[in-house]
Amino acid sequence: MMAWIVRLFISNSDMIKLFLKISIYFFLICLALELLVRAFHLYPEDSPRFIDEMGVEKRVPNYNGFSVTGNRRQNFSEYHINNQGFNSYREFEPSYDKNELALIGDSYIQGFHQNYYNSIGKKIEDRTKDLEVYEYGYAGWDLADQLHLINAYKEDFSKIDHIVIYMKYPMDLERSTYEENKGRIKLLNSTSFKIRDNIKLLYYASQIGLLEPIKNLLVEKKDTEDIQENKTNTNPDSLYLANFDKLLATYPLNKSKTSLLLDKRNTSPLFLDHCNKLGIDIIDFGENFEITKKPVTLIYDKHWNNNGRTLVAKSIIAHLKLAKQP
Amino acid sequence: MLFNSVEYLIFLPTVFILYWIIGKFNLLKLQNGLILVASYFFYGLWDWRFLFLILASTIVDYLVGIAIHKKQGQGEKGKLFLWISVIFNISLLGFFKYYNFFVDSFVDMVSLFGYSIKSTWTLNIILPVGISFYTFQTMSYSLDIYYKRIKPTHKILDFATFVAFFPQLVAGPIERASNLLGQITNKRSFKYEQSVEGLKLILWGLFKKMVIADGIAPIVDDIFANYGTLPSSTLILGVTFFSFQVYGDFSGYSDIAIGTAKLFGIELMSNFKFPNFSRNVAEYWQRWHVSLSTWFRHYLYIPLGGSRVSKLKSIRNISIIFLVSGFWHGANWTFIFWGGFHALAYIPVFLMGRNTIYKDNVVAENSVFPSFIEIGQLVLTFIIVTFSRIFFRSESLTDSFVFIKRLFTEFQWEPYHHPMGYRMIDYYILLAAFVLYEFRIRRDERSPFKFKSPIVRFCAYTLVIFCILLFFDDGVDRSFIYFQF
Repeated sequence: MMAWIVRLFISNSDMIKLFLKISIYFFLICLALELLVRAFHLYPEDSPRFIDEMGVEKRVPNYNGFSVTGNRRQNFSEYHINNQGFNSYREFEPSYDKNELALIGDSYIQGFHQNYYNSIGKKIEDRTKDLEVYEYGYAGWDLADQLHLINAYKEDFSKIDHIVIYMKYPMDLERSTYEENKGRIKLLNSTSFKIRDNIKLLYYASQIGLLEPIKNLLVEKKDTEDIQENKTNTNPDSLYLANFDKLLATYPLNKSKTSLLLDKRNTSPLFLDHCNKLGIDIIDFGENFEITKKPVTLIYDKHWNNNGRTLVAKSIIAHLKLAKQP
Repeated sequence: MLFNSVEYLIFLPTVFILYWIIGKFNLLKLQNGLILVASYFFYGLWDWRFLFLILASTIVDYLVGIAIHKKQGQGEKGKLFLWISVIFNISLLGFFKYYNFFVDSFVDMVSLFGYSIKSTWTLNIILPVGISFYTFQTMSYSLDIYYKRIKPTHKILDFATFVAFFPQLVAGPIERASNLLGQITNKRSFKYEQSVEGLKLILWGLFKKMVIADGIAPIVDDIFANYGTLPSSTLILGVTFFSFQVYGDFSGYSDIAIGTAKLFGIELMSNFKFPNFSRNVAEYWQRWHVSLSTWFRHYLYIPLGGSRVSKLKSIRNISIIFLVSGFWHGANWTFIFWGGFHALAYIPVFLMGRNTIYKDNVVAENSVFPSFIEIGQLVLTFIIVTFSRIFFRSESLTDSFVFIKRLFTEFQWEPYHHPMGYRMIDYYILLAAFVLYEFRIRRDERSPFKFKSPIVRFCAYTLVIFCILLFFDDGVDRSFIYFQF
């Protein structure tokens, strides 16, 4: 077959011309597109990640960049990774002399979808006196990651006055033990990811889902619906509650200063009752979301927009004020 | 398989290379055999069971063609055989496309007289993709033989390739045997210029489909889904966008089809000639879905007498072709109303004797800009055509009339916001640029990138692909609107 193809090309100068021109045009157009994608900054910048000596997965410190969501950069925001490896406008320097609040969570708290100087933490600080907010956010974290963080940085957290853990029930309770995700770090440092990170056109195309059909063609599709169905059948509330209990047994909470931040509308009443019985404080931002008439999420994804973040900040402040009452 | 899919990106170059390797050895039969197998594979990926319908339609019209010709040789007309072809193809369409419509309409009609019957006769029938296109194509073959325009082919392979030629199998252009079959039976040679033209048309077609049609599809879908709560300004926006969507979708498909055929050394007829720059409804129909309009003109309008009969009969003929054309689009009263509306818009133009005055020229024929009168004509025609699309897009007649009622009663201006937060200014700029660009190239629908400077041409290619990157929407259904017809 190859010989035939070669023969076809050699014996037909027009065919050679066509394929040669297609190849040259393809290369030049890709180059031009790469320049355009860079010039308009359509690509997101992913800050590098690592697992520190305490076994906590986080970002490489002191890194600035821009996060871009959707095509035509419909959401464009700046981030700043501080010395501690988290996206924040401030450094975390806990001490017994100051009033501090640690806000722990996944991508919603990490806040790559907002300018780092307009985060939930900043909104809380702007609305309160003498309070420093430390945002320990990392995309993909679940409760096991979050409790491991508190345990790993025991000394720091002992100095912090309030701890607020953002959690989504039941997604954050799918495991009962913490394990370092070395595979993910290895994958992100692999050559294919490095290529993707350096060729911005490729990164943008993958970000908007343009490469998805190619991936689907190469990788055998799994029946996600079946998997989901199995999960719901075999993982009732009791399993999540058991995971929760097991995590608390491994990493005991300081209930006097720790609260769970969640949306009661999307949380099982069984879990809420369970927290009540255990004496764990709940901050419900769902009420504020219910009242507002403006949208609370961004376009293209479900992360909170400016209004959503303001409402979450207000919920936390209201709770802290309540907590101060005798 | 969709033209705008990865599968097609692999399929097309593979068939192209194999085709020209075979062509190198002068094996025409093998070349046609490859096209036929590729076409059946292309179609079979949707549903292989419906290949039997194509096969049946192919065999029937192949035999009918020979039989008519034989009868004509014996001094007869061969009308019986023509009727076999027409009845067979219309029956295929009738059963797969219109059966449920007729049953439901019958039930509704009976209920008008106070009787109530339960509609238990309706069947769960899947509409075979492209059935309206290939049945019309095969019928035209038998009709052309009957009218002695062509002679039948005795080579079944060639005829099957003519029926199933994959670039135009599922959504046209509806080819005539006089154009396509002749090319299939003759030896093709690779021509560099023709292939380049083909690739340019494919790129332009992809732009129209992926950027214009798919880009605005979520906005149109949202407005038509919620028209009951939206102000008239938003409804106007929705139906205007739909006008561009359906044009981008269908003309994009046709461009890809014509471009693909060019890669195989075959020239298909033009299907769209910038209908948005029509100065009256008659000109619009000379520019929109040309292969269908000419089909109805040749095989229905002219046999009925066309315009060479009394005015009254001509009006009857015009009404018939528009109503049938509407019905061809879908088994729904909305399409019949759509056709009827166009008949009403066409008849005054016909009575004024202005239905053919723009046949051989384009707007602003000898100038850069159109005159004020021409602008007025373009705008008026666009409004009429766009208004008719309310029937075309609505799920039912009730929806159409409620939409129209709101259009005239809820008159207020409100900026539109899509629930997903799409930045609307992007789409306004896109459509304005698209209209201006199409106006620039309005003289030749087959040369979308006619620039002398290679640098400008390169920039145009890059810009078009960049737009595809900018407006690509992962969540949009990428199939073509006309597949449902």
